[in-house]
Amino acid sequence: MAMNKYLVFLEQRDGIVKKASIKLWNTFQKLAAMHDDIAVCGLFVGAADLHQLQVTLVGAGVVYYASSTGFSLYNPERYASLVADTFKREACSTLFFADTILSRELAPKLSVRLNAALLSGSPMFDAAGVDSGSLRSVYSGSALASFHSDRLPRIYTISSFPIIPANPSRTHIDFIPLQQPCSVNGEELFPLVRMMTMREGRGDVTEAGIIIAGGRGVGGADGFALLEQLAFLLGGVVGASRAAVDEGWRPHSEQIGQTGRTVAPALYLACGISGSLQHIAGIGSASLVVAINSDCHAPIFDVADYGIVGDASLVLQKLINAVQDFLKKK
Amino acid sequence: MNIAVCVCQVPDTASVIGFVDGIRDLARVNEVMNPYDEYALEEAVRIKEHFTGSVVTVFTIAPASAKEMLRKSLAMGADRAILFDAVLSDPYQTAVALSRALVTFYADTLPDLVFCGKQSTDFQSAQVPAMLAELLGIGAVTGICSLHASSEGLQVEREIEGGVESFDVHYPALFSTEKGLNIPRKTSIKSVMESRKKTIDLFPLSLDEASSVVMTGMTPLDRKKRCQFLSDEKELVRLLSEEHHLF
Repeated sequence: MAMNKYLVFLEQRDGIVKKASIKLWNTFQKLAAMHDDIAVCGLFVGAADLHQLQVTLVGAGVVYYASSTGFSLYNPERYASLVADTFKREACSTLFFADTILSRELAPKLSVRLNAALLSGSPMFDAAGVDSGSLRSVYSGSALASFHSDRLPRIYTISSFPIIPANPSRTHIDFIPLQQPCSVNGEELFPLVRMMTMREGRGDVTEAGIIIAGGRGVGGADGFALLEQLAFLLGGVVGASRAAVDEGWRPHSEQIGQTGRTVAPALYLACGISGSLQHIAGIGSASLVVAINSDCHAPIFDVADYGIVGDASLVLQKLINAVQDFLKKK
Repeated sequence: MNIAVCVCQVPDTASVIGFVDGIRDLARVNEVMNPYDEYALEEAVRIKEHFTGSVVTVFTIAPASAKEMLRKSLAMGADRAILFDAVLSDPYQTAVALSRALVTFYADTLPDLVFCGKQSTDFQSAQVPAMLAELLGIGAVTGICSLHASSEGLQVEREIEGGVESFDVHYPALFSTEKGLNIPRKTSIKSVMESRKKTIDLFPLSLDEASSVVMTGMTPLDRKKRCQFLSDEKELVRLLSEEHHLF
């Protein structure tokens, strides 16, 4: 049986490993536990909190890491060289990234360098482990297209994960430091990250489990205070529709939809969002959608599990009270 | 400064993608310039206005019917537009075709700046810009939301998950543009009239590159759910907690 060796890129920002990367690794470990012909190795680039990795990664195999300060910030040339070298040295067939802003830049670059087929934004293939195709939404989420490639090697950026019942029988991961020179020939000619500024106190919509999103129906920038209050109570973050961002009520980083972020929370609460096709394209992977809107015919109710018809602010205030009462009793 | 802008056509976002017997039907679709490419073009024209003697050239690889879109790019301030007549099937082919188009046009001296939209709004793969930069051997920053250019170099920013990344960049470089970078100008009747004097050139382009990824099918996507309407917020809280274990 031909062996498939997968390389999983473990992404960090500001020293924190992306949840999606951890999920990617762990899902592949479950697959490997079910299929004898799959082997998985990992690559972690950046200042490594090895302890965080040790307690969150399951399964068996090797995770290579390059933790010198030259790798702390994203550097396209250094990162690409390191990934390409590791991929070739380990004779891997397929390279996997979590679908992030970093991987959407690095993966196309590497696909040229490795002469690999690239499938971006794929949901992870099912537990059967068939890996030549990809299925994703196109045209603002109005259609689903399937893609296929015969070429090896292949690169995927994975946007959602299947639930695989199996568990790896043991956890034994070797963390091996890479003695990699951190500079690459000629890299001074290439873009260099001067600094990275993380926003304080505001969670990121792409990693959030609960999103409280507001649209035009919230009425103004002030109206978002209620959304922030509810998000705080539930441990979630605030998101916004294009209308709210275009009005200047919220930053573009919070925009959800076709021209913003694609999100996959456990709960998506849409307040005063009518639900354009472009907005709905960004929430297709949300597990549960709750909509609050004054117009009972708003299209958002067509994609919602639960709905409350009413003025967003009034309903939100009552909802906040109800959550507070509930949490007190709990 | 020589500035290249790569643009493509997509269905207008208001267009409905129809399906006839399960096959995609684009008959009722209105094709427009990819919205992200408008940010790319606008930024190129602003840099041109800042650095005298700069030339903005627009490239597209498309059927000849895309000339109308190129006319718009000239009205927005590009100096020249070039259409390479070819049919493309995947992002890698597109990137190879664009790199050949740029090399054909600029010969040995690559342009100082190349701008692309972050992604096309139809297939949304966002692969072409970084592939093109790698093929040209120049640096790239994708999805930029801020740009400051001086004659020595550039400083750009992009939004990342939860923050902002700032880059120092040398010429030549490629940037793909995100919403928020600028507000593309509206074309006036005067600019449209003036654009008639500018040239649109048609070049042939031979493509021998096999596509690496093939689209095998497309189906309409129905996201409809059955919504359960509630009149009591307390009931919603109970459902979220007890039925869905969210808190």
